[in-house]
Amino acid sequence: MDKLLSLWYDSGIYQMASGQFIMMLVCLLLLYLAIKRGFEPLLLVPIGFGGLLANIPAAGLAFSAVENAINSGSPDVLQALAQSLQLASWESGKDIYYAYESASASLHVLAEQTAKDLGFLNGMLYNFYNISIASGAAPLIIFMGVGSMTDFGPLLANPKTLLLGAAAQFGIFATVLGALGLTALGLMDFSLADAAAIGIIGGADGPTAIYVASLLAPDLLGAIAVAAYSYMALVPLIQPPIMRALTTEKERQIVMVQLRPISKLEKVCFPLVLLILVALFLPSAAPLLGMFCLGNLMRECGVVDRLSDTTQNALINITTIFLGLSVGSKLSADKFLDLKTLGILLLGIVAFAIGTACGVLMAKLMNKVSKTPINPLIGSAGVSAVPMAARVSNRVGLNANPQNFLLMHAMGPNVAGVIGSAVAAGVMISLVGG
Amino acid sequence: MQNQLLQQGVELMLYGMGTVLTFLVLLIIATTIMSSFLQRFAKPEPAAKPAEATKLSGNDDHLIAAISAAIHKYRIRHKK
Repeated sequence: MDKLLSLWYDSGIYQMASGQFIMMLVCLLLLYLAIKRGFEPLLLVPIGFGGLLANIPAAGLAFSAVENAINSGSPDVLQALAQSLQLASWESGKDIYYAYESASASLHVLAEQTAKDLGFLNGMLYNFYNISIASGAAPLIIFMGVGSMTDFGPLLANPKTLLLGAAAQFGIFATVLGALGLTALGLMDFSLADAAAIGIIGGADGPTAIYVASLLAPDLLGAIAVAAYSYMALVPLIQPPIMRALTTEKERQIVMVQLRPISKLEKVCFPLVLLILVALFLPSAAPLLGMFCLGNLMRECGVVDRLSDTTQNALINITTIFLGLSVGSKLSADKFLDLKTLGILLLGIVAFAIGTACGVLMAKLMNKVSKTPINPLIGSAGVSAVPMAARVSNRVGLNANPQNFLLMHAMGPNVAGVIGSAVAAGVMISLVGG
Repeated sequence: MQNQLLQQGVELMLYGMGTVLTFLVLLIIATTIMSSFLQRFAKPEPAAKPAEATKLSGNDDHLIAAISAAIHKYRIRHKK
């Protein structure tokens, strides 16, 4: 009978907290959206499943060795940990945890070693998170893959479209202000670093958002990544109403002049020019744009096809799996079931909307000034979200004029948006994080 | 305190947007210079294609004869 009871105490049902149960439902919702609705399935499947794994009670997959030791609740273990942290008096595991969080570096290491000596290990997802996201590696490797999938041809044929990529980044900074405004009104409690990380959602670029969040606001990473990827999937729903509201029927029908052909030499030199500019003016964006340029150079130089093939297929796929699982490990109840998450989801969509609107308005302005006509619809592609945003521009354009194919024209601002959001991320990191 | 936070936000927006715009304008200038410089050395690829096509036009009769012979053979073979 005793054995039966201890088995029951060990079971998931007995140890399930209500928060974990709700988080499991949230993760199942993510899986549903990914599988049934096709919302960025490549990321939301691993993220949703990682979230499920992280919320399995007592398995402690997302916890460090020390947290697992504390969660085990055995008095001997807690006593040993308290001793290693030089804690004179404590009542529950929570006290020890807070002491561990605020302990000095040497005590921190001591507690970790104590937990390991007692036979507790870091959870699998915790290790994945440390290796792939906390180290900054996974988002950067993915950025290299994105670079090797990007064709800068349309951008080189019409460099002016870089301005659209810049204008659309206004959404990022307006959202930072919005997040701080909510704090000032007393509705939320975001620090400047939190606000900066939330704003990056408006860059509509998953790896950039995760990279910035892991540096500036690791606590909010789960919510930020989920918001960023969900809204990227929703681009075809969010953008068209804004685009139609800001343009006239006549403007949507504008046919653009055909792009000039680009020589291979120009394509090879462009990533190098970009890298030199980054090195000269914005070293804080060097990790993101450096990897991006490397990927693009491998694609265009034509002598390392094997490497380029690996970065845009095998490597990016492997990294995506671990990135997704690691993001999922941050979907724990105590961090996700919070008013802040609601705020992040709300601000994220505002960021998207403002970015889209600014891109379209900038394109309208350029159309007035420029000699060659510019269809304002391509401005919305400036929010990156490659290639979805460009396809949306193309589709809205086709609705207005069935003979008007804007796809290639919209790819210019689209890849400009990637550069723009990486630059914005660099500015955030150097101004807020430094 | 809260006003200070908002002020920091406005500063971040001005500096941030300023940097993004400046950087991309510099990139436009650099790209334009690079393109105009490189265009002297390299001819764009797709333009070369029609030139090749015209070269072939001299052998048109031979080509058409060969193709129609091949089609003829194929049809006979696959009649059944």
